[in-house]
Amino acid sequence: MATEGPSSSSSAVVCNLAILDSLTDDSIRQIHDSYTGFCATTVTLLTGAGDLSVGPEFIAHVHSLCHHGLHSLVRDHFLKSLEEIFEQNGASKFWRHFDAYTNFAILSKNPPPICESEVQEVLCKALEEISLEKQYQEKCLLMLSHALQSYKDQMSEGRNPSDAERSHLFSRYQLLVSSVLMASLPRHFPEILHWYFKGRLEELSTIMGGEFYDDESQDKDEMDLDEKSKISYRTGEMDIDECSHQGKFLENNKLVKNIGKVVRDLRSLGFTSMTEDAYSSAIFLLLKAKVHDLAGDDYRSSVLESIKGWIQAVPLQFFHALLAYLGDSVSYDSPSSGLKSPLASHPSSCYPGIDTPSQGLVRWQLRLEYFAYETLQDLRIAKLFEIIVDYPDSSPAIEDLKQCLEYTGQHSKLVESFISALQYRLLTAGASTNDILHQYVSTIKALRTIDPAGVFLEAVGEPIRDYLRGRKDTIKCIVTMLTDGTGGNPNVSGNAGDSLLEELNRDEESQENTGVDDDFITDDKQAWINAACWEPDPVEADPSKGSRNRRKVDILGMIVGIIGSKDQLVNEYRVMLAEKLLNKSDYDIDSEIRTLELLKIHFGESSMQKCEIMLNDLIDSKRTNSNIKATIAQTPLTGAELGDSAVSMDILDATIISSNFWPPIQDETLNVPEPVDNLLSDYAKRFNEIKTPRKLLWKKNLGTVKLELQFEDRAVQFTVAPVHAAIIMQFQDQTSWTSKNLAAAIGLPVDVLNRRINFWISKGILAESLGADSNDHVFTLMEGMVETNKNGGNSGSCEEILVGDDEGERSVASVEDQIRKEMTIYEKFIMGMLTNFGSMALDRIHNTLKMFCVADPPYDKSLQQLQSFLSGLVSEEKLELRDGMYLKKK
Amino acid sequence: MPGFQTEWHGVASWTWDAQDETCGICRMAFDGCCPDCKLPGDDCPLIWGACNHAFHLHCILKWVNSQTSQAHCPMCRREWQFKE
Repeated sequence: MATEGPSSSSSAVVCNLAILDSLTDDSIRQIHDSYTGFCATTVTLLTGAGDLSVGPEFIAHVHSLCHHGLHSLVRDHFLKSLEEIFEQNGASKFWRHFDAYTNFAILSKNPPPICESEVQEVLCKALEEISLEKQYQEKCLLMLSHALQSYKDQMSEGRNPSDAERSHLFSRYQLLVSSVLMASLPRHFPEILHWYFKGRLEELSTIMGGEFYDDESQDKDEMDLDEKSKISYRTGEMDIDECSHQGKFLENNKLVKNIGKVVRDLRSLGFTSMTEDAYSSAIFLLLKAKVHDLAGDDYRSSVLESIKGWIQAVPLQFFHALLAYLGDSVSYDSPSSGLKSPLASHPSSCYPGIDTPSQGLVRWQLRLEYFAYETLQDLRIAKLFEIIVDYPDSSPAIEDLKQCLEYTGQHSKLVESFISALQYRLLTAGASTNDILHQYVSTIKALRTIDPAGVFLEAVGEPIRDYLRGRKDTIKCIVTMLTDGTGGNPNVSGNAGDSLLEELNRDEESQENTGVDDDFITDDKQAWINAACWEPDPVEADPSKGSRNRRKVDILGMIVGIIGSKDQLVNEYRVMLAEKLLNKSDYDIDSEIRTLELLKIHFGESSMQKCEIMLNDLIDSKRTNSNIKATIAQTPLTGAELGDSAVSMDILDATIISSNFWPPIQDETLNVPEPVDNLLSDYAKRFNEIKTPRKLLWKKNLGTVKLELQFEDRAVQFTVAPVHAAIIMQFQDQTSWTSKNLAAAIGLPVDVLNRRINFWISKGILAESLGADSNDHVFTLMEGMVETNKNGGNSGSCEEILVGDDEGERSVASVEDQIRKEMTIYEKFIMGMLTNFGSMALDRIHNTLKMFCVADPPYDKSLQQLQSFLSGLVSEEKLELRDGMYLKKK
Repeated sequence: MPGFQTEWHGVASWTWDAQDETCGICRMAFDGCCPDCKLPGDDCPLIWGACNHAFHLHCILKWVNSQTSQAHCPMCRREWQFKE
């Protein structure tokens, strides 16, 4: 007889071989019988669908085997049979359900919707079946455990802890089930789970999402209602609300319950992590789609809040319900929510719904929100270029992006992606400098919101600046943007100009503010406060670029930074200002004064000195002009020559400039018509009288003339340059001129005349025909002028045409021309050098000039300027460039 | 032939009607202004001495005031007197 107690461990049985000797034939037979009986009953029990009639027999066999110390044999055999049967009945059947879907999961990422609902059904059915099977097996297992337990109880009267035995059995069984399933897991099963959850969640989100939007629209409606009706309807409305909420909630609840059941079944089969993966990936997918849907390509509204709202409304509600349904089986769930019944979770406060968020829920919320931030951020970063293109309108999107980045901290992603977008889309030969500058300004403004320290802006701005430095017209465009866009080319987006001008204004204000700040800083307390709110630069900051205090974002500073020095900018501005002022026909310079004042604040008074004198000249001119007019009133006739043909002084105004302070002015000889010439000299004489000992030198080719040509049937108005006026006025006495004669009369070279006269030909006022000499064209005044209509239409009697700025019609020499003129002084030096040295490299010429040309005027040109001058000389065939060395052309 | 009506807005530059280009004292252009001034023209006029030499008014005044005894024209050393 077996001597060991029932509580002895199975290992002891195995080791104690002596027991075998002590076995009698009788007991062997008994063991054999019970074992056969046990095996047979086990099979019947397990395969006999629901038939537990063999139960008592089974228990008896178990007892008898246990009596012989064969507990472990019983356990192992039973589990083994369970496994086999589960493999046959459960697992293979279970998987067979999904065989049909092997293909779609592999072949297509998006199964057709019919398929999806089918999957739902199949999955539910399969799970139900396998769960039933499992439940049944568990029942059998329970029976075994009871049998073992009852035997133990018989043997030892003292109470032994019994739960250990049972839970040990069950955990082994659980392990068995999942290992069987896992071992035979088809590859497409996770996919199927994924599609299942996706489908269900979409369904859920349409229900809940609808509710969410209903709420919103209701809110809006309510806001529209005036107070009175709101109060009167309030109670009734609430009832209705509640009802509909409840209805929906029940529907939700059912859906969630279904999902919960599936999740629970899956978990009990050991698919816990796979299930979680599947539904979280489905939720993330859904969230991603939602973010894309909400955010889309609309940058004019902020979407972050509604995304957050949606997260609250749909996925979190789902999780809340799910966690509540699953109860304490959720390992990380806090006990409080585990105790809650699914019904407790609801209905009075439906939308927030989450009264005391459990830890698991909070964790999910954080995950979802982070994911939403990241998705939105990626979406916005990918479209940052477009967003910045319509910047002021798209500021909500920028604001969203800022929040996202604060959360995710992936600024470097932004920098990288934006730079590559810039390289690809903006910094190409096709983009106009104006557009680039405009985009640059918008970029600065937009990124300033995201990152006030300007660290990332610096990284992003660098490629733009580098590129712009390589463009010739950058300075010109910047200056046009600085001065208002209206005076210049109307095609230039006036918006950009406005924004920079506005920036000048803003700058002024901020400078005033900093001034105040500086005063306060002397105060110790303030200094302490400043020190206390110091924040380190972001890690991405380039340490070589100085700390954030110095890196204060300043649009003008960054714009000027493109050019390198403010002098160049100021010089270009001066040229443009001169051009503008000289073409004015009145003395209205208010906007120029304003701009200049703003520029003075930014660039300092001394650098704007010359510009100020130019504006002052205009103011003086106005005064002098009226003074001179006043002298006419006193002494109407100064000379006898003012006869019939004379025109009154009233028609003449003058801008009198201090030529030393203006940019070099293009001088061209021009013979103006005699009456005007007389008028001019009379004007000069009067000026001399008033302002002795100063005298006036006319620049007859400059200025503007408003002309009205009166024909028999109509009058046409033009605003033209003096040269055009001079040409057309010659036709007053003589309607036909040969080009040579006309050129002589006006004092222009023939080729210049031919170019200038095109203006009148294009207007249909003059006609050109070939004369006797092929070089000598004949111009005739068109009396009838029917053709005029060809340029533009229903002119009527009053047509004002402003002469466009052709090249060569500028009154002021461009900056490049000035530099070229200044460089010619050095031509002799360079030629001499090259005669002595043979050939020289650019650097050496530059350095030599710097060394020796220190006298008046000192050599102060840049290497680039020298290079362009030298290449000019090369094209004039004075020099030759060979292997980077300049030498004299033989 | 058509009739004409014009409004002519011309451009002219002014210049001091002096023989020299630059002021003998500050070496700045007459048409510019002396080193102390910002605006040329009326704000920084020229003045002629009896010897017919011209200077910026501010320059010659400074010179005259700095001399302890009778001031002389910096150019020709004649006794400085403002031209009537």
